[in-house]
Amino acid sequence: MSEHIIRFTVNGVRREQHVAAQRRLIDVLRDDCGLTGTKEGCSVGICGACSVLVDGEVISSCLLPATYADGTTITTIEGLARGGELTPLQDAFITEGGFQCGICTPGQLITATALLAAHPRPTDTQIDEWMTSNLCRCTGYHGIRRAIHKAAVT
Amino acid sequence: MIEGDAATSAPAGARTSTDVFATPERRVEGHGKVTGAADFAADIKRDGMLHVAFVGSPYPHALVRRVDVSGARTAPGVRAVLAGADVRPARFGRRLQDWPVLAWDRVRFIGDRVAAVAADTLEHAEAAAALVDVEYEEQPAIFDAEAALADGAPVLHPDAADYAVVARRGEQVKRSPVPHPNLQGHEVHEHGDVAGGFAKAARIFEHTFRVPPVHQAYIEPRAALVWIEGDVTHVVSTNKAPFSLREQMAQTLDLPAESIVVHTPHVGGDFGGKGLSLDEHALVFLARATKQPVRSLLRYADELQISNTRHGAVIHLRTGIDRDGRITAHESRVIFDGGAYAAGKPVNSLMPGDAMLTLAGYHVPAARVEASAVYTNHLPAGHDRAPGQPQNSFAAESHIDLIARELGIDPLDFRERNAIRAGQIDIHGDQWHASEVPRVLATLRREAKWDAPLASSHPSSAQGRGRGVALGVRHVGRGKTSMELTLGPDGSVEVKTGAPDQGGGAHTMIQRVVARELDLGPERVRIEQLDTATSPVDPGVGGSRVTPVHGNAALDGARKIKAALAEGRAAPITVTGTAEQQQHMYGAYAYAIEVELDRETGAFKITDATLVADVGTVINPVAVRGQLEGGFAFGLGQAAMEELVIDDGRVVTANLGDYKIPTIGDVPKLRLVLITDAPGPGPFGAKSVGELANAAITGAVANAVANAGARVYSLPITAEKVFAELHQGHSPA
Repeated sequence: MSEHIIRFTVNGVRREQHVAAQRRLIDVLRDDCGLTGTKEGCSVGICGACSVLVDGEVISSCLLPATYADGTTITTIEGLARGGELTPLQDAFITEGGFQCGICTPGQLITATALLAAHPRPTDTQIDEWMTSNLCRCTGYHGIRRAIHKAAVT
Repeated sequence: MIEGDAATSAPAGARTSTDVFATPERRVEGHGKVTGAADFAADIKRDGMLHVAFVGSPYPHALVRRVDVSGARTAPGVRAVLAGADVRPARFGRRLQDWPVLAWDRVRFIGDRVAAVAADTLEHAEAAAALVDVEYEEQPAIFDAEAALADGAPVLHPDAADYAVVARRGEQVKRSPVPHPNLQGHEVHEHGDVAGGFAKAARIFEHTFRVPPVHQAYIEPRAALVWIEGDVTHVVSTNKAPFSLREQMAQTLDLPAESIVVHTPHVGGDFGGKGLSLDEHALVFLARATKQPVRSLLRYADELQISNTRHGAVIHLRTGIDRDGRITAHESRVIFDGGAYAAGKPVNSLMPGDAMLTLAGYHVPAARVEASAVYTNHLPAGHDRAPGQPQNSFAAESHIDLIARELGIDPLDFRERNAIRAGQIDIHGDQWHASEVPRVLATLRREAKWDAPLASSHPSSAQGRGRGVALGVRHVGRGKTSMELTLGPDGSVEVKTGAPDQGGGAHTMIQRVVARELDLGPERVRIEQLDTATSPVDPGVGGSRVTPVHGNAALDGARKIKAALAEGRAAPITVTGTAEQQQHMYGAYAYAIEVELDRETGAFKITDATLVADVGTVINPVAVRGQLEGGFAFGLGQAAMEELVIDDGRVVTANLGDYKIPTIGDVPKLRLVLITDAPGPGPFGAKSVGELANAAITGAVANAVANAGARVYSLPITAEKVFAELHQGHSPA
């Protein structure tokens, strides 16, 4: 398997990484960068737990070959809070019951962050369309929906 | 691990005790969970850690004739390859240890493990696993639980007499004898005059229902990391009951329990499934062989193919009703497909916990209930949120509805007429000293506007409308635990517990109980979760136990601190809070559901949903709401979508794309009404909510769809079944 050098920026930090051709972005983030906030659930791009922002777009990092991330800017869950201060969305997930076990939460927050960037005051239909890519087994999604609405008006 | 970062909480300071529960909680682990800092088992590593791959059987039932690992042993990066002969006679299980760590003579389901490889990388381990050469001799397989009980059926566990039972509190428990060798568990209950009850019935109704296996479908697959230091075996696990895992491993590995230390970090969803650990046992053998830490991350495909599902079931119900529309006698027979091993079940009966609850919340003057869990060549079944209840509740609440409609009685009236009241006996023959069931139903009638006419569709319209109701009850959990509380010189309290938090909010509940009793702001109470070497013994989380048991232990500890202060003792003060909650009590709940059904396709959607729940005192308002809303969605998946499809022993819904759980767009709005003033046995009158919502939704949906024109006798209630019922007059099972 061929080896490649990729350069990317993750959470504001520029990195250069040697990767094997078959290596997935999630492995580079979790194992090489130590960013274990990004979670692996289904491994087939369905559950959304591994969602990260690649140049602002929501991507399942379990599906993306790391070489495709060359030259990109990536945001993971660790990159949302600035200077230790939670974003309104992160805080709303706490106050509105947007999580329970927390395993899907990094992916939910990444997708919801992108949603609010695209639609600062999303309708329920827009929330359904965007968040359908992220499974949650604990909350029944009600708390997630409340948190997004609350963050949208903050 | 330490949780409860004061910097992220509300301003410090004492407050009046009533404020504590009235103010919505901020989870002690909230900051970690929304920033990615919270560690789960798969996030924890050790230097020099090896990676593991397993070899599973391609046959549902076969004898293992030969396992050749020579090719795998010499493959690149490989450090150890083990087969059944290397672990024999180690078997594991939560109660009955019937599941071989690696099969040495017989495989009993597709995916049953026969070899394990530890290598430098996962790629190396998987490549080597493919080189293990196994010779099998196929045997006749059993896929039907009723067929497994036939005379002359192949016996799947000829060595059952050798199986160990995990000791509880030092006492070895013997397995109850079973009347057929393919039975895992079998129970018969009878009370009252059953024959007389049927004799005096004006009408007798009989129905059969089928429920498929489903998966807990937590988003975090199991993970385990094992390393050995001297005489001590360390285990990082996704197991939600660390002390119980320690006992099981001690039995499996023939080690003193104290030599095993289990560390459970955050658990990424449980729903009963994370009580069973699969890989940990094999990892110990691999860690011994390699003298290196070894880790295994279960792939989700393996979660769905080899893990412990909810039991599929066939449920036969028969009930006699007198002229006044009251139950005179009930008879039921439930056959649960237990799969290849009983290892996933923690209870003595080796059946799902509520296997015998074939009518819930009703006065049943006489009953005979027979339930069986049966060995088959399906993947093993285990515990899943309110074990046994969704199956039995779907059957019972459909049965009750069928009876009411046949008798021309409104289904809610019929339930109110038969609802158990204080002093009456339930299906187990137990007398209830208090019952909120009539009140729950009356509240549902009001809140769901049951007496207002249902907006009817035009007769020529393709849309049908219907509404249904279902009643549920769930025990308030029992058990005992203890935890250590220390009042520091600064007036803050530290609580050390062995209980993990799988998302239910256990640690925050403990924090708030202590805060309220000691008149502190919750941020002044810090929760620390210890491993099994340093914590007082703890039963883990599950069984609707945490709030009534752990909450009372926290309250006991807080009261002891108060007493010490009253005696003039100065901080630091360390006490042990203990609780043993054995009071027998139920929480009750009921759903009313409205559906709109497309007669041309059979598709339906829920247009209105009301849940009334008797929850007692609310300690964590955000979590109580979340548990009930989450239980609704969880049960809705089982009602309308989920089925682990198994074809000739092979799970064909093998990823989360094929095995469909509800997404955000699938879950309708829910009107949630709480009854909080009927006190439970928990701290300050709390009850339990974790398993209070997910079972009865199955029956409520079935009854609403039936009211719209299509009675379906099996789960899930899919458009295909509804269509068949509407257009062919029957639904495929």
